[in-house]
Amino acid sequence: MEGKVIVVTSGKGGVGKTTATASIGAALALEGKQVAVVDMDIGLRNLDVVMGLENRIVFTVVDAVRGKCKIKQAAIKDRRIDNLYLIPASQSDNKDILTPDMMVRFCKELRKEFDYILLDCPAGIERGFENSVAPADEAIIICTPEVSSVRDADRVIGLLYAKSIAPKLIVNRIVPEMVENGDMLSHEDVVEVLSIELLGLIRMDTNVVISTNTGMPLVLLKESEAGKAFRRIAMRLNGQKNIPIEIPQVQRSFWKKIGQKIGIGR
Amino acid sequence: MDNILKEKSQIRLKGVKDGFWVTLDPTLPKEFIENELTRLFNQLEHLAFNSKVIIDAGNIENNENILEAIGIFLKDKFKVGSVSAHHKEHGGTEDFSRKPDMATLRRQHYNDATVIAGRIRSGQNITAKKHLIILGDVNPGSVIVAGGDILIMGNLGGTALAGQPGNQESIIIAIGFKPIQIQIGGIIAAGLPSSSQHSIEYAHVENGVIVVEDYVKANPFGRLTWPVVR
Repeated sequence: MEGKVIVVTSGKGGVGKTTATASIGAALALEGKQVAVVDMDIGLRNLDVVMGLENRIVFTVVDAVRGKCKIKQAAIKDRRIDNLYLIPASQSDNKDILTPDMMVRFCKELRKEFDYILLDCPAGIERGFENSVAPADEAIIICTPEVSSVRDADRVIGLLYAKSIAPKLIVNRIVPEMVENGDMLSHEDVVEVLSIELLGLIRMDTNVVISTNTGMPLVLLKESEAGKAFRRIAMRLNGQKNIPIEIPQVQRSFWKKIGQKIGIGR
Repeated sequence: MDNILKEKSQIRLKGVKDGFWVTLDPTLPKEFIENELTRLFNQLEHLAFNSKVIIDAGNIENNENILEAIGIFLKDKFKVGSVSAHHKEHGGTEDFSRKPDMATLRRQHYNDATVIAGRIRSGQNITAKKHLIILGDVNPGSVIVAGGDILIMGNLGGTALAGQPGNQESIIIAIGFKPIQIQIGGIIAAGLPSSSQHSIEYAHVENGVIVVEDYVKANPFGRLTWPVVR
């Protein structure tokens, strides 16, 4: 059976594409699938740092695509999670070194060896975006509940539809307290504007910063709400349709809950 | 020859229902008018007797004296019944002619309205030569342009340009009216106050300014007496 190529994109930068790619990749590998995550942000690579594999890079995706090395040489195996491989980006080249055709041919090779190939798309809608989208079967849109992020995601969705890809949506960095006070767009607002299939909702989580800086996969952090949400997203991607989408709720302390029950305070 | 033709055209006689209609230029010399009238009425012979003559001397003011003189002249010489001046109707701009009823009209009106179903996303541009109807939402960041009206059966969140170029009669209607910017025939309305009301609103030009009103309350076309093609 041939593997699936999924592109993770957003249009806007800094919304959590790289974190989402690393986390979903790790979660899919924990489900027992052969997973390759490919950093397409050539010249500004980050995925290796987020996954904690930066000191093991020998060959990059540019070398692999241009036939300077074999795929097995470029793919770095994660030691903590089985079946998870990273193909890092080159830091010294720029995005013009690859073409969409080259990526389509490269992903054809990758499909033979892996069940899931996750492409971490760079921000913007230029060459890097075209290279990442050309070989993709499916797309995941990462969007934060901000007007600017929604606008860019909307544009990217239009571009993906033009390439006959129906993307799925992840709303990232939801702060339930702010949504409750009306200071932040709710996920319903975002879904209403973008009107695509919702894949998951992720709350704002400080564990993400810890995970990014230490290189520890987010999904392995037991107390991380975001990590749990990514694991559920991976299960949904893996075909388990019956997992409900959990809406991030305001977390109230034990005594406040008791107070609410008996009608004291808020 | 040319001269005669020209003079002939200056005084004309026409038979109407029960009399004669004389069109003349009162600025002509009196002798010339009398000579011409004599020539014309001689041709009528007995028909001129006791007939009703209406003189149309155009819109030139202070021509009563000339008309009176002509009246006396005609009554004396040809024994016409009465001579009266033709007065133009005043303020007759209202058109009382029968209008066709659209409901029973056989003729069909073909109109170049573009109907588009779906969501217009950020970065997408839609252009229509005449009216544009969108069955769906228009997201922020998109631009829709029409030569005539724009009707949106959904939320308007982008930029809408109606009546391009220069048709200020055009309107923009949306069920959810939250545009970034609207233009009607070259008039720009940017930074519209965002209304929270959940009603159908429409934008139109009033005294050179774009006005946004509740469509149902304003009912701009309810006052038209007859259905008209836009």
